[in-house]
Amino acid sequence: MNPKWAEENLQTIRTLMERSALYRRALAPILLFAGVIGIATAGFGLFFHLDRGWDFCGLWIGAAIIAIAGSFAIARRQALKDSEIFWSPPTRRVAQALAPPLSAGLFFGVLMTGIPDNQEVAIITSLLWILFYGCAVHAAGFFMPRGMKLFGWLFILCSGGLFAELLLRWRQFELNPHLLMGFFFGGLHLAYGAYLYLTEKKTPHA
Amino acid sequence: MNPDLFLQLDRVIHEKGRLAIMSMLAAAPELSFTELRDALTMTDGNLTTHIRALQEGGFVSVAKSYQNRRPLTTCSLTTEGRKAFGEYINLLEKIVRQNKPK
Repeated sequence: MNPKWAEENLQTIRTLMERSALYRRALAPILLFAGVIGIATAGFGLFFHLDRGWDFCGLWIGAAIIAIAGSFAIARRQALKDSEIFWSPPTRRVAQALAPPLSAGLFFGVLMTGIPDNQEVAIITSLLWILFYGCAVHAAGFFMPRGMKLFGWLFILCSGGLFAELLLRWRQFELNPHLLMGFFFGGLHLAYGAYLYLTEKKTPHA
Repeated sequence: MNPDLFLQLDRVIHEKGRLAIMSMLAAAPELSFTELRDALTMTDGNLTTHIRALQEGGFVSVAKSYQNRRPLTTCSLTTEGRKAFGEYINLLEKIVRQNKPK
């Protein structure tokens, strides 16, 4: 018998227990919070015409930081209610899954701020963010209910389709980047959050 | 490997599918049948068979209720199940320690 067998079994058990702990996290409040931040940011950007260069990227990077910090706080509040430690192994797993694509998105966002002002740059940045965010959600979805993986795929496929549209109709592609961001990061989060709110199991531990 | 330790492992829990179910339930007060099925990517029939075996062994209890007028089946570990799972983990740890090069 393979001497590593027991060790591998223990590792599998650990992973499954972590996944089980994450399954109990209520995602509806997190998605609704992210959706509200997305809609508010899009409205703010549209109202003040922050459509270009640093204005656009700075606004949305700031919104992303608030959304991520807020979501983390909501998830941790649930965990602490369940007497889990603050930086639990499942939290570490999710953070590890989210970190590479989100860091790539931040890197490209900062890089785009250096390109001379024009709206196409903001559109390309938005599509890259949608793509990276989709990858991040899909990676973290391994530890969450199946719907989160599909949610990630929706972002990935939509960004791919819009990129293709952008390449085919360069110059005629007229879309306000705040509307694009507002739809994906605001509207879709609110819609999925509302769906989960109505369907998630309401139990004292959730 | 000391065969005595291996022989002490609970046969019911030791099967791959049932061990996965026990692991998921050990970290949660209860999980629905759908949650278990989706998390473990098992078929309905396969999961039902494993849960029945665990129920017969006295390790898992199954409760049926309604949520939004739809039937909801939830599973949880019994006290005996939690104890047996703890003992199973302890045995695995002993086996790992025994196999570590000195």
